[in-house]
Amino acid sequence: MKKKLLALLLALTMVLALTACGGGGDKPGSAPDSSGAKTVKVGLICIGDENDQGYTYNFIRGKDAATEALKAKGINVEWSVKWNIGEDSGCEDANTELAEEGCQLIINNSFGFEPYMLKVAPDYPDIEFVACTNQASWNDGLDNTHNAFANIYEGRYLAGVVAGMKLQEMIDDGTITADQAVIGYVGAFSFAEVISGFTSYYLGAKSVCPSVTMKVQFVGSWSDATEEANAASSLCDAGCVMISQHSDNTTPATTAQSKGAFHTGYNNDMISVAPDASLIGTRIDWSVYFSYIIEAVANGQSFDQDWCHGMDQGAVVMTDLNEKIAAKGTADKLKEVEEQIRSGKLQVFDTSTFTIGGAPLTNAFALDTDGDFTPDSEEAVFDGAFHESHFQSAPYFQLRVDGIEWLNEAWG
Amino acid sequence: MNHETKTPFLRLAKRDGMEGWKVWCIRAGSIVVALLLGALVMGLVGANPLTAYGTILSGALGKKTAIRQTVKIAVPLLGCALAIAPCFKMRFWNIGAEGQITAGAVAASYFALFWAGRLPAPVLLLVMGLAGALAGGIWALIPAFFKAKWNTNETLFTLMMNYIIIGVVRWLQGGPWEGRKGSQIIPQFDRAACLPKVLGVHCGWIIVLALVVFMHVYMKYTKQGYEIAVIGDSVNTARYAGMNVGYIMMRTMFLSGAISGIVGFIVASGANNTLYDGVAGGVGFTSITVAWLSQLNAFAMVAISMLLAVLEKGAETLQTRMAVPTSISDIITGILLFCMLGCEFFINFQLIFRRRKEGAK
Repeated sequence: MKKKLLALLLALTMVLALTACGGGGDKPGSAPDSSGAKTVKVGLICIGDENDQGYTYNFIRGKDAATEALKAKGINVEWSVKWNIGEDSGCEDANTELAEEGCQLIINNSFGFEPYMLKVAPDYPDIEFVACTNQASWNDGLDNTHNAFANIYEGRYLAGVVAGMKLQEMIDDGTITADQAVIGYVGAFSFAEVISGFTSYYLGAKSVCPSVTMKVQFVGSWSDATEEANAASSLCDAGCVMISQHSDNTTPATTAQSKGAFHTGYNNDMISVAPDASLIGTRIDWSVYFSYIIEAVANGQSFDQDWCHGMDQGAVVMTDLNEKIAAKGTADKLKEVEEQIRSGKLQVFDTSTFTIGGAPLTNAFALDTDGDFTPDSEEAVFDGAFHESHFQSAPYFQLRVDGIEWLNEAWG
Repeated sequence: MNHETKTPFLRLAKRDGMEGWKVWCIRAGSIVVALLLGALVMGLVGANPLTAYGTILSGALGKKTAIRQTVKIAVPLLGCALAIAPCFKMRFWNIGAEGQITAGAVAASYFALFWAGRLPAPVLLLVMGLAGALAGGIWALIPAFFKAKWNTNETLFTLMMNYIIIGVVRWLQGGPWEGRKGSQIIPQFDRAACLPKVLGVHCGWIIVLALVVFMHVYMKYTKQGYEIAVIGDSVNTARYAGMNVGYIMMRTMFLSGAISGIVGFIVASGANNTLYDGVAGGVGFTSITVAWLSQLNAFAMVAISMLLAVLEKGAETLQTRMAVPTSISDIITGILLFCMLGCEFFINFQLIFRRRKEGAK
């Protein structure tokens, strides 16, 4: 009895295993290799997976779009993706692993990956390593390391224009008074990337609605759905009629809708979750950068060590405008401002458009060279504007502009 | 008749002694069953099991760099299994190795971050190691003290201690030791505070191998090791023999925590070159499996921790080459461990089926 049962079980296991062999046997290693096409093997290391519908998902969209675009140019991309890698020595192992598997280009998608990537890069001088959103390549002494970011502040400025037009429309038709035009901003942490984002957003709104002010609430986390909702809720209670965010979840949008406020989003189109509140969103289109570097590798060319572009190359894009609730003429205005940014005619951080402590900004440093995390070199203010992401791709604008009130601070 | 109907279909009976060859047959059989079940799982996700197992092996051991990474994974597992072995021998259920590793890593990191310029590298590393051992030891001593004094439940106590120290690291990461504001990341250590590499892997592997010999001698040939064994068999016997059970518990836990603390130092200084809240990374729990599978034999632990490391590293390669999610590999590892631990049951117990009646089908 016992033996029979066991035999049956084993037989069943083997049969199933064998059928499985037959089914999936031809899957691995069947890379399509049409004649004449170049094939590039690219590794991508992700902190999450596509299920986050935000940060990593946005990279995957970029990866897929770049693959399509390159196929048209006769370049095949063979991706090796590592999901859910931590910001620890596991990241070092992932880089080594992909290098050993023959990847010619390895892309790290999270800020905290860079120090581990830098431990592997010297051992593989023929492989190009990219750390997205980080900043060490300009002084790490290695030729094969790169950084990339996008001028997301341009997209935020445009989202600010959309928000400002809506606010001005509400003032004009008497829904609110001029001093009730208050924006509430849900931020993750109180450092440059976030400050740069909400300041550009504010300046965008102010360019079309001069009386606008802003309150910022930091939640101390990149992704905490409940805290983000709480922050949005308390901002609405404090009189904010427009909500925006620099955090990963859609809860600020849904909270704004339930409180009767409007909203603009980030990383993803949020109209589907808050159709009566969400006006527009902005996101980075990574396919532009991916196509650029993969093509360079395919042709044996070098590429920029520190890359940062925005509207000029389509690396920052706006999601669909919610025409149903946006102010009249928003679409035309957007087109106009976008063109001005693209051509360089409009500077987002134009020093004539804001003051700090009542005085105009005349000088501010961009880079930190001695490692104390306070900028100490490279004058960022020239030609009448603060030049964001000019000296390095990662944002460095971290000044407190008049009109923006910090309700708290969160350094982690 | 009457007797037979009352007999349950299946009964268990304790087995006394089994011949050695049979024991090993059962163990080998359990691995075969695990591999077949694993093949089933891989088949379900559409990967060829033979290729997959081949990939695991070649991915973990096929190249010099792969072997180095595998060894790097095995080092903390082995060190921590050695640490908890004396506790388990004593039947003191220390499941707080995770926290003891972290405590050791915190203390070592303090010296790495703030004393790097002031001490020559060998002295600095020695101080870091000693600080790690001391911190890990104290972290383990606290629950042992309460157990000895008031007979508190050590399982819960050691477990709760984990959360506290991991919380402390989170605070350090976002607060006083944070590098760039808002990054939540402690800067990388100075080169002097990083363990040097020997044969391509940080020299933590030499430290843990030395610990293997130490632990073997300690458990087998010292009076203290004998005391631990006696307490494990019977606390009353130990008392009757005049042993101070509370003191021995505290001493053993301090030793256990100290070794875990050294593992924490090795991981922070050798592998990560920094401190973060996942420094222990579940090693404190996985090493319990390593210790049990090795039946608390220090040399067997070397083999078992390598086996687990091969599976883990192989799983990574499996994901890279065949796009099999690492979670699938985790399932397979789980099945393997379950079978290997479960087979001990069949070695210690006998299954007795109810006899069928003559002629009945």
